[in-house]
Amino acid sequence: MASLSLKKVSSAWIITILTLFICAIVFGILMRLNQGNDIKLSPNGFYTLMTTHGLTMIGIWTVAGMVGIQYLLSRYTTVSAKLNVFALVLTIIGVIMLWISTFVGNFHTGWTFLYPFPFYIAWAKWATPLFLWSLAVLGIGWFVWSVGILVEILKKYSLKQAFAWQHLSKKDPEVTTPPFILIATVSLVGIILCLITAVILLILFFAEYYSNGSFKNDPLLMKNLTYFFGHTLANEALYLGVALLYELLPEVSGRPKFKMTWYIALAWNFTMIFVLTAFFHHMYMDFVQPLGFQMVGQLASYFASIPAAAVSALSVIFLVYGNKIKWSLTNILFFIGVIGWMIGGIGAVIDATISNNIVLHNTLWVPAHFHTYNAMGNVLFCLAFFWWVANEFAGSQETTKSHKITIGLMLIGGFGFVLMFYIAGAASVPRRFAFYPNELQIGMTTATWAAFFATLYLIAMLAIIWEIVRKCIRVFYSS
Amino acid sequence: MNEYKFILLVFLDAAILIGLLGYYIYKSSLNPEGDKSIKNPLRKRFFFLIMLSAVLLILLAITIPKSPYFLFADKPPSKLVFVDAKQFNFIMSYQAINPKNPSAGESIELPVDQPVEFRVTSLDVNHGFGIYNSRAELVTQTQAMPGYVNRLRWEFKEPGTYKILCLEYCGLGHPVMSSSFIVK
Repeated sequence: MASLSLKKVSSAWIITILTLFICAIVFGILMRLNQGNDIKLSPNGFYTLMTTHGLTMIGIWTVAGMVGIQYLLSRYTTVSAKLNVFALVLTIIGVIMLWISTFVGNFHTGWTFLYPFPFYIAWAKWATPLFLWSLAVLGIGWFVWSVGILVEILKKYSLKQAFAWQHLSKKDPEVTTPPFILIATVSLVGIILCLITAVILLILFFAEYYSNGSFKNDPLLMKNLTYFFGHTLANEALYLGVALLYELLPEVSGRPKFKMTWYIALAWNFTMIFVLTAFFHHMYMDFVQPLGFQMVGQLASYFASIPAAAVSALSVIFLVYGNKIKWSLTNILFFIGVIGWMIGGIGAVIDATISNNIVLHNTLWVPAHFHTYNAMGNVLFCLAFFWWVANEFAGSQETTKSHKITIGLMLIGGFGFVLMFYIAGAASVPRRFAFYPNELQIGMTTATWAAFFATLYLIAMLAIIWEIVRKCIRVFYSS
Repeated sequence: MNEYKFILLVFLDAAILIGLLGYYIYKSSLNPEGDKSIKNPLRKRFFFLIMLSAVLLILLAITIPKSPYFLFADKPPSKLVFVDAKQFNFIMSYQAINPKNPSAGESIELPVDQPVEFRVTSLDVNHGFGIYNSRAELVTQTQAMPGYVNRLRWEFKEPGTYKILCLEYCGLGHPVMSSSFIVK
């Protein structure tokens, strides 16, 4: 049972996340309008927006999952709201530092800040250390929070039970592990590994920066560390959203809870391993990378999709098909999120095939697939939770009001927006171009259309977010 | 149909299929008549996962040999081109480039239907080396990483002017970082 203090801090998180989300969508629309030649941003303006947009989005939708996990974990064990407040304070400080480094200091390396780019200073000199320290502050907050949540899980379940290993050897073990606990554990372990890697990466950056160049890093190692951290974090963030789905979808649909079975246990344990090596697909075009890693990259990218995506999608299909479902905005968002996740997954598997990657790598196909499984996948999983919890905060029963217009706008806007990326990506248009050369006219046309569709998506999001925030604010007045 | 359109078409077909399947499943839950729920879900799921694994294994077996690391590996290149990327231009030469005093050689002309090798590195940050044909289609690419040399082998099938674009974000001049060479 969630305490009032947990409700209040979760509310504060939700309002913070959704405010940053709206800002980051607007940044994205401005970028697409500039690429479409509809507005004129300076290259500096474009790339500071790009850096802020990428890091803000990936950050907020990781913590969104964590907020949901900790809130729902209170059904199983006691959770600490203090831990949550600590992470929120450090996140707000970290985001302010990050935005100052980009918007005031003009730091613009993109989210990847690939070594040695941050040291080739084309911005205020202080912006490089401020940017790196902002990541350190965010990293510390999230690391302590993730470890804290994992400890909370381990207060109730042994490590073996948290990973549901007892389900692999016995059909009906004495202690059953809810799928929510297993997926949360697997994802948190992954996130902790990502954050440890981020710490190593930052230490190496700081070592070179503060030694005034007498210590030099290895670019290949730094690139591997960057993508291990960045790619894996994005994947684990999605899995946190999936954990919310496993816990809430049957409940709000009036169906029996998902039960742990040996194959769900096996699937998610495999996912934990595969997802940690899938990041190698970012390095396909670095031919100096050991060949074995390239092969592992494709193998892991293919087989990471089977346990998590296929098992979860089938679970949802079996839950819904032919059964009378009490549809509400919560389960509609979860359901569309699964479809978005599957479609984005297909785009990802195509890109993760090395022989395709040679013509897709760093084209707009890359933002195409990750925007699909984020904007139309994980964001919807987390919004479903936010919607559900906001109703719980307000003490109101969720109505079965259809929200047809909102959903329609979201579907047309969201899928239209990503379709423009796919078309341009297949037409070889590079990503991260502030503007396009004349021969890539299709890049401009699709960018303008993408801005239009993204605006529809934004309108739908504003309609949903407005109601969520209004209900969340009420918690602060309750005692 | 070229490979770019093929990739897009495969994706769109799969996406539409998933969308239609989703709609069909959603509709089935609105007013189900009688018990239409799926029987033996465990068996059906197991069968589906085996099928999916088999498809992915077949795709792996077909696509891995087409990876760029194996292309033209047994054919000695008829020409070598050294490429040093630098914010925001490409320096290309038939001879190795001195990083302390990098300068381009004569303009690059490459033979059609013969393997050539690009030895690509960077003198500052990470860059990309993307080769576009005259129809603005990305033909092949590799990364330009400081301290490392990526060897890209390719055989150009069509004569013409090929444009090089940077495919790794490298700074404000990233979209204008380009060069070209001729194949004849």
